[in-house]
Amino acid sequence: MSEHTSQPLTGLTSGLTSAPTDLPARTASLRGPWTIETLARNGEVLHRHRVAALPIRMGRAYDNDFIVDDDYAAAHHAVVEAGPDGRLRLRDLGSRNGIVHKARRIKDELAIDGDTVVRMGHTSLRIRGAAHRVAPELVDRTMHGWEGMLPGGAGIVLAVLAALLVAWLTDDSNDLERYALFPAAASGIGLAWAGLWAFGNRLFGRRARLGRHLFIYGCALAALVGLRLLASVVAYAWSLEWLTAYASHAAVATVAVAVYFHLATVTPQYRRRLRLACGALAVLVSSMILAGNMQRHGRTADELYMPVLLPPELRASPDVPVADYIDQVGAMKKDIDAERSGGN
Amino acid sequence: MKRAVLALLLTCIAIGAALEATSPPAAAQPQPQNLAQPAPRTTQNTAGAGTGAAVGAPQMPVDTAPAATPNAPLPGETETQDALPEPSLAAQDLYDSARSDLLQIRMLLKNGRTQSTVGSGFLVGTSNLALTNYHVVSQMALDPAIYTAEYIDTDGNTGPVELMAVDVLHDLAVVRINRNGSGFFKVPEQPVRLRQGQRLYSLGNPLDLGFAISEGAYNGVLTRSFYDRLIFSGPINSGMSGGPSVTASGTVAGINVSRRRDGESVSFLVPVKHAQELLRKVAEQAAPPADFNPLIGKQLLAHQGSMVDKLLEEPLTLKGMGQYLVPVRESGEVRCWGRSNARGAVYSTDSMSCVMQSAVFVSDVQQTGNVAMTHQYIRSGTMDPMRFATLASDTFQVNNLGSTGDPRLTKPFCTERFVHTRTLPLRAVTCVRAYRKFEGLYNFTLLTASTDASQSSLQSRLDVSGVSYENGLRVTRAYLGAFGRSGRR
Repeated sequence: MSEHTSQPLTGLTSGLTSAPTDLPARTASLRGPWTIETLARNGEVLHRHRVAALPIRMGRAYDNDFIVDDDYAAAHHAVVEAGPDGRLRLRDLGSRNGIVHKARRIKDELAIDGDTVVRMGHTSLRIRGAAHRVAPELVDRTMHGWEGMLPGGAGIVLAVLAALLVAWLTDDSNDLERYALFPAAASGIGLAWAGLWAFGNRLFGRRARLGRHLFIYGCALAALVGLRLLASVVAYAWSLEWLTAYASHAAVATVAVAVYFHLATVTPQYRRRLRLACGALAVLVSSMILAGNMQRHGRTADELYMPVLLPPELRASPDVPVADYIDQVGAMKKDIDAERSGGN
Repeated sequence: MKRAVLALLLTCIAIGAALEATSPPAAAQPQPQNLAQPAPRTTQNTAGAGTGAAVGAPQMPVDTAPAATPNAPLPGETETQDALPEPSLAAQDLYDSARSDLLQIRMLLKNGRTQSTVGSGFLVGTSNLALTNYHVVSQMALDPAIYTAEYIDTDGNTGPVELMAVDVLHDLAVVRINRNGSGFFKVPEQPVRLRQGQRLYSLGNPLDLGFAISEGAYNGVLTRSFYDRLIFSGPINSGMSGGPSVTASGTVAGINVSRRRDGESVSFLVPVKHAQELLRKVAEQAAPPADFNPLIGKQLLAHQGSMVDKLLEEPLTLKGMGQYLVPVRESGEVRCWGRSNARGAVYSTDSMSCVMQSAVFVSDVQQTGNVAMTHQYIRSGTMDPMRFATLASDTFQVNNLGSTGDPRLTKPFCTERFVHTRTLPLRAVTCVRAYRKFEGLYNFTLLTASTDASQSSLQSRLDVSGVSYENGLRVTRAYLGAFGRSGRR
């Protein structure tokens, strides 16, 4: 990324060319004042400079209307004038490196409008007249009150609660240390995770929004634990063994949703694209899990059978007699024999 | 100030360098010790290599069996009670006359002809047939495309070995070689009668170190083995497998087969009557079978039939574990152990495991035909139901159904259901794997967990390996149906 120091408007405006005001949108660029925008590679505006009148002389020298602070630009690199067709014209003043438009060096001059991006040396520019149309304002759905300590605290509380629940459920020795260790681990990992996102947010957005990221982490952790428990309970109650057999995909989806919210916090303007990307990522990871299970265990499920045992009050479906079960086992023979003869 | 700091820094570096310079001799000192260390390791290695090369006798921790001890002389039995001469002299004489008929049998990889396992064998009478253990020649029987065999006699002559017949269940094999025996080893037509304490001489090539003879005493028939074995109180080492154990007159009493690793000179012999049967079969057959695998499969099928019949010949015994009634089998062939593991005051576990000693050696990596059952009773008075459920779920998770990449078995197929017996609701999981090489044989695993209480859990596992599908179902049904509640807590 190139650096640009902002140049104060120099009083060198000369040659008053009054632009026609009643021309259609095509020639709208002829209405001043004009704004020269220095762009980053991704199209982001790094710097804006306003010029009141045409022609606009551009280059590294101090007698220019717009000083291009770029070692690869000539002292007098280019000039912008009004063309005979009512459009702006960018003319090369015989620079060594020239002006590049769409990866091609322009011969002599180029008709430009508000969306033409040209490169001089290492600097990408675009010139827009005062009449240039801008996109309508976005609907602000950001909850501005839900920033900082409030969501951050809520996220930590959620993570700690989820960790405490796991610590309590898996406690088989009345060991009190785990009730400190689990929450500490959960909040420590949360801080590191949210910290990384906040760093990215500061880099690509303008603010760190650590609180938001912590909240997303807390919600994701609680959702992971909650979904696992819910799947176990439902699977146990109604004999839906596939729920726990494919539980890892629910976890993948949860993580994908969390990553989407993190990314949308960083760059809210690309929500649609991020949604697609996270969805694609989740599908990719899930299919990798399926393929991995197939390769390692010869089955797509995560487990051979559902090991979940819960209190008898949580059973809702009726049990079957032993004879039915034996019939079910007997019916399996066909598949095994097929596998035996097929695999050989 | 800056200079003083710099000077201090330089001094520190200088001292550090000096210390470093003096340290090497100190560091070098331990080196001789380090060099000395490998010395004992090398001796261990050669011993290790020896045992590695020798046929490891199949480990049969405690064998079990139908007890048909021929203590009383039956009509037609040969009396082989000799007057005992001086032991050492007798051994010398015996070895002198036996050595020409004693063989070492080596399994060779066809590619490169390197030996993979070695065992012993002996020529029967004046024929060109030699007896050995099945486990000595198992590789050749199972994978004739990869393995071949040769014999070496005590004079160092070698020759090819042709497999004639195998008896997997009694661990015997008959091979043919290109020369005849001198007639020293007599395999009598009639069963041999032995007396407890009678001196026997065991011959073979222990650990591939050289031919040897060892003395010991006959100590009856092992009753805990599924197939009868003679107890020989004398040293049999790996590599002697397949060698003969003879009386002083050269009558073969049994074939060396295994020893107890945890015992001292507690070894086992295959009774010679099974060798007689196998030799009779060889005499009847026109030519040796081209592929032994179907034959081995048939023998294993026969084994599982008698094993399951034995297991289910009478209803399973019910034992109480807490409020539950669990099925076990109480008989000579099934051994059970109990264990209690009270972890702190939170919960306690009582477990009971039973094994039917009917495992049959198929290959170095495959034993089959055994039955094992385990019951685990977990209870807690203080744990919350959800917490106890997590603990029970953890225990119910079994991952050791064997590697799914095992090429000898198909991947496991499982069926899971919530079932109820007459008095107890259970969660039942059955996983079945089929043998790829032996058609009609399967491994059944049944896992059950009680679902009737929130603070106690009965979890059981039944493993039946190498059975037909029907027998697997039979055992599963009998076992699963037997679970119940005793009503008392």
